[in-house]
Amino acid sequence: MFRIIKKSLKKGLVTGQYPESVTPVPAVSDAARNKAKLFHRSLTIREVDTGSCNGCEMEMNALMNPMYDAERFGIHIAASPRHADALVVTGPVTFNMEKSLKDVYRSTPEPRLIFALGDCAIDCGMFKNSYAVTGPVEKHIPVDVKIPGCPPRPNEILAALLAVMDRRKKE
Amino acid sequence: MDKLNERVQEIVNTFKDRLVDLEQIQGIPVLYFKKENILEIAAYLHKTPSLRGTLSLQWAVDLNPVKPVHRIYYLFSLESGGDWLILAVDLMEKDRLFPSITPKIQAAKWYEREIRDMVGLIPVGHPDLRRLVRHEHWPKGTHVLKKDFPWNTVLERKEGTYSYRHIEGEGVFEVPVGPIHAGIIEPGHFRFSVAGEPIMQLEIRLFWKHRGIEKVFENLSLINGVSLAEKVSGDTSFGHSLCYCQAVESLLSVEVPPRAEYLRTLFLELERLHNHIGDVGAICNDAAYALALAHCSQMKEQIMQLLDRLAGHRFLRGVNRVGGVAVDLDSSQLDGILAELAKIEEVFKDLTEILFVNASLIDRLETTGVLKEQTARDYGVLGVAGRASNINRDVRRDHPFAAYRHLSLKVPLYQYGDVRARVRVRVDEIHESLSIIRQVCRQIPKGPASIEIFSSAPAGKWALSAVEGWRGEILYFVMAGENGGIHRCKVRDPSFVNWPVLQYAALGNIIPDFPLINKSFNLSYAGNDL
Ligand code: SF4
Repeated sequence: MFRIIKKSLKKGLVTGQYPESVTPVPAVSDAARNKAKLFHRSLTIREVDTGSCNGCEMEMNALMNPMYDAERFGIHIAASPRHADALVVTGPVTFNMEKSLKDVYRSTPEPRLIFALGDCAIDCGMFKNSYAVTGPVEKHIPVDVKIPGCPPRPNEILAALLAVMDRRKKE
Repeated sequence: MDKLNERVQEIVNTFKDRLVDLEQIQGIPVLYFKKENILEIAAYLHKTPSLRGTLSLQWAVDLNPVKPVHRIYYLFSLESGGDWLILAVDLMEKDRLFPSITPKIQAAKWYEREIRDMVGLIPVGHPDLRRLVRHEHWPKGTHVLKKDFPWNTVLERKEGTYSYRHIEGEGVFEVPVGPIHAGIIEPGHFRFSVAGEPIMQLEIRLFWKHRGIEKVFENLSLINGVSLAEKVSGDTSFGHSLCYCQAVESLLSVEVPPRAEYLRTLFLELERLHNHIGDVGAICNDAAYALALAHCSQMKEQIMQLLDRLAGHRFLRGVNRVGGVAVDLDSSQLDGILAELAKIEEVFKDLTEILFVNASLIDRLETTGVLKEQTARDYGVLGVAGRASNINRDVRRDHPFAAYRHLSLKVPLYQYGDVRARVRVRVDEIHESLSIIRQVCRQIPKGPASIEIFSSAPAGKWALSAVEGWRGEILYFVMAGENGGIHRCKVRDPSFVNWPVLQYAALGNIIPDFPLINKSFNLSYAGNDL
């Protein structure tokens, strides 16, 4: 036990041990930035899966691990849309999830920032025109920021979130 | 035709007078019967002590427009995990009715409901004919896997209700949860009936994420289908694409070069490794032991970054292709993997040392969410959940694929079927994976990592393939269509088999323990809903 504590103490900080994103940060409109301004230096996110393959979810989850530790930038995950400033939506919006997506949108207090995360959410990806898909997200709710990738890497997601919050990594 | 093995010959002899036809495909005997005999024969395979057949997959194929026939296939594994045997029944022309085998074989329950929803064939005598995939707002008569249903149909939203099972009585109340949950997880609906603390009934409703994967496959060519297989369940991208590739390779009679087989094994084990490590952390976290999550999610991240460096993708997408792998590794990269994993192994060993002696943690895991061996057997439960309930199955050993026939492998087996057993299975498998990776790096032969494909498959030919993904046995059935297309692709993630037993594991537990139990199974919603 003590041996392990000692090792942990010696290990030092792991946060930040990831390569910087090399893909360009997605375009962020002034309108989106202005919405984010209201929340100052924090952003509370509700994640909504409308039929992803769960790859995008895994990368969102990775954001919370000690290496990315998005919490240090004031990014939190809310358990309910009513507590959220922003929705991060993944997946092409299935016929079975369409209603739930709209419900969640309605339950989120304004001025709710909406992110479409991943190629599926942006243009339905490989599922475009499938009978079971009614998306993309944009068709059902207004989208402020699109983060492309299949899935986008956590460092890319983080870079996009920080751009919206108008924060630099090394702050 | 090759000689049938003894046991199958015996079955054939027993049912000689009822057998309509018999063939062998990829060495798997396929026995055709009339529909009125199928229940008796399926029950015989399941019940006979020397056979102990487990229904591994049941699916239907619309053979129109080539033949006016709907064919239903039943894949059995004899003596759980052993030889395969397929039964087949043809429904002619407009015939839509087939006898349900669910009254005798529990494992068929969801398959038959799925067949009804997707292909429109009705299992007569099925105890639960509610819709499964098609939620209540789907228009009546929509059967998407029928050949005359265009894949890009725009469905009209209808009104409808879904009837949940209710328990009534004083003090009984229902707790509906989902489809959208707290935390970053996939959608599903859980409905608990409780009286006081313990769960009396749990009804699980899924298929919110149904994207029409099997239908979309029918638009793709055999070669291009890989990229869709990768998206069936993101966390198992490699397992699914491998299983798909193997099916297509055997359709095209392609032999993959030995180096590719070793590389596939290596990548598959790396995928298993990061998922298992992540799960161990997440399960402990659901029992409020956050330290384990911090360590495990960090190790998981290290492996995913390693994969990104090796293959250019954290989920290994684009690595598998029909004919081999698109990424070859040189010896310095292999050494790099071993060095990185050695570091991870050390940390993981230290962590498990403190995990299993931590009384407050173990107290939460032990006797929680018990899945009884008999239930697991009845439903043919697969993978980690199965091995924690004494179901001794592992495709890597039972039907070796890729390079597994050259590698030594121990299959961990536990009996109690509680959360702790499922954690133990994962911990053991993590060490097994590390050992397999070391063997691969030592033994990997030189040569090309993939070959060009020139062959094609005649329409109507099919192949079946199995891969032990990190969750359990993945199955693909691929039938070739015209001009290198796909006539039918049946995808079976182990989650589809394991979801229905979660309700039994939850019985008698308290709702606050449900997230822990659910996490210990960690089933895919996407892979289930397709
Ligand atoms: S964008 Fe890619 S990773 Fe994200 S849900 Fe779609 S297929 Fe999965």
